[in-house]
Amino acid sequence: MSGLLARRIALVVPLLAVILLFTFLLVRLSGSDPVGLLAGPTATTEEIALVRASLALDQPIWVQFGVYFGKVLQGDLGQSWLSNRPVLAEILDRAPATIELMFWGVLIGAGLGIPAGLRAAFRPDGSFDQVTRFLSLLGFSVPTYWLGLIMLFVFFYLLGWAPPGMGRIDLFLTPPDRITGSYLIDGLLAADWEAAGSAFSQLVLPVLCVAIISAAPIIKQTRAIALEVLASDYIRYARAQGLPHGQIRAMALRNSATPVVTFIGTEITGLVGTTSLIEYVFAWGGLGQYGLSAIIAGDFAVVQGYVLVLALFSVLVFLAVDVFVMLTEPRAGAAP
Amino acid sequence: MTLLSVEDLHTHFISRDLDNQIRVARALNGVSFTLEAGRILGLVGETGAGKSLTATSLMGLLRPPARVVGGRALFEGQDLLAMPEAQVNALRGRDISLVVQSPKSSLDPLTRIGDQLIRIHRAHRKVSEAAARDRAVEMLASLGIPDPARRMAAWPYELSGGMAQRVLIALALMNAPRLLIADEPTTGLDVTVQAQILDLLRDLVRRTGIGAMIITHDLGVVAHYCDEMAVMYAGAIVESGPVREVFGQPSHPYTANLIGATPERLRLGGPRTVGGPPPNLFRLPEGCAYRDRCPQAGPDCAQTPPDVALGAGHIARCHRVAA
Repeated sequence: MSGLLARRIALVVPLLAVILLFTFLLVRLSGSDPVGLLAGPTATTEEIALVRASLALDQPIWVQFGVYFGKVLQGDLGQSWLSNRPVLAEILDRAPATIELMFWGVLIGAGLGIPAGLRAAFRPDGSFDQVTRFLSLLGFSVPTYWLGLIMLFVFFYLLGWAPPGMGRIDLFLTPPDRITGSYLIDGLLAADWEAAGSAFSQLVLPVLCVAIISAAPIIKQTRAIALEVLASDYIRYARAQGLPHGQIRAMALRNSATPVVTFIGTEITGLVGTTSLIEYVFAWGGLGQYGLSAIIAGDFAVVQGYVLVLALFSVLVFLAVDVFVMLTEPRAGAAP
Repeated sequence: MTLLSVEDLHTHFISRDLDNQIRVARALNGVSFTLEAGRILGLVGETGAGKSLTATSLMGLLRPPARVVGGRALFEGQDLLAMPEAQVNALRGRDISLVVQSPKSSLDPLTRIGDQLIRIHRAHRKVSEAAARDRAVEMLASLGIPDPARRMAAWPYELSGGMAQRVLIALALMNAPRLLIADEPTTGLDVTVQAQILDLLRDLVRRTGIGAMIITHDLGVVAHYCDEMAVMYAGAIVESGPVREVFGQPSHPYTANLIGATPERLRLGGPRTVGGPPPNLFRLPEGCAYRDRCPQAGPDCAQTPPDVALGAGHIARCHRVAA
């Protein structure tokens, strides 16, 4: 068992190397030459050559890749030319905001979507199924940014229940000392109830948006998976054996778990883009907003770092999914 | 008391077509037969004749749009079709067990086979985990599974087809049922394994005195392993009786054609029988359902054919049979 698991984890290393190659090529192929930009408009030819040599840009491309590879391994993702700060530091500053948003959003989305999908599958074409089918269709068809704007319009402007979508905490409050990076959790840890409360009320609307957008496909997919399991030979045979209904349902649940978790894994990686738009609407200041701005501004070191982090995130999500499957699927060979 | 007595069982598939008209497929049209304890009944017929549907109907396992619309299925005198669902569910897997034709996909893929055996036993009997485990090991051993204690920990995907079928039979026998229904138990197994499984079933019936019904389209299986047989065509039994009588004097033209169409008979160079598609269940012909394919059909076949008793329990439903 541990051998298989170790092999799967070891697979991450070559995967990361390939990802690095692609992020490297991403900038190389964009055809931009940072040397002129860095040396300034008054630089002489010698100065330009000097800068070029200092960046190793006069070397063959594979040497350049080696230099890039080495720097990334040391945690050097370059500098943003907009802010002049190291990209890694900026990413680490913003990551908790995005993780917080996605974590609660997906947790609530899956927490609502999985039971709803299962319940719909247990009574296909029943009234619950019809209602959830309509709602998930609605969730599918609503554009992300529009949902965010409408939420703000209704709950902030019309009803006044929610704070304005201007960041993660009230503008006049100081954020709590950083422990996890989540204002809500840090506020609770520091017993700063005011900050925690404000962070919570700021979280509600964007988290709700992520939850709605992620729940729609989860409902649909869970329903389809559970229906397939319920129609399987082993469930039909369990009925023929007179097993109690509770046990048959438990069997259906266990057999649906692997495909549902796999689906949610792929969904989370796709949700990164959705979250970026929601961050934009709510001025969330997370990674997604950061990456989007960098793309618009042409801040290449940041784009490179952003893409690298997203790829790393996907690799980790798929690793987690694979480990889950290995531990629950006897055919994967690692089940206890 | 008769173990199982099915009387005039009718099952329909009721659905709506695109014009919202109700369409009825008459899949079972008055199936009647009896099975005594200690006997093996072979139910034969072509695909779509209603063999498996007979089993699922009487076990109460039909799912919409299929529905039993008439008849009785008396198990030890109690009508299974009139019982509340909870009571039938308690009988299933305990007193009436089913063995199906796709053993590998019928086992729960996420549960070790030992745990599945224990689960079915404890679902129906108040026994301790340890007692259930002992019985499961014993059951696997009695079905000729080598090293049963170790096999208890096997996952379903690790089993060969023959092994999976033995496990399925073990599951069916865990609660010592009085009626065993085997629905094409050997389809998809190679010939030697087929013989082993069927020998096992026959020995079991002889040893324990339970009743068994084997659903098959293999007349060889019926001839070798069954005491009685019933030939199904278009949802009705056209001929039934002791195996020896029916094979010795096949009286319904369909039975005769079926026996004539076995590979052994074809090799003998006998007259080729007329083939043809099974009838449309949505529009069954009046009278005898076989008359469109029957070489001996006449005008009187448009009338409902009588059940003609030929002696020794041998019955054929045909106008052409003389008692």
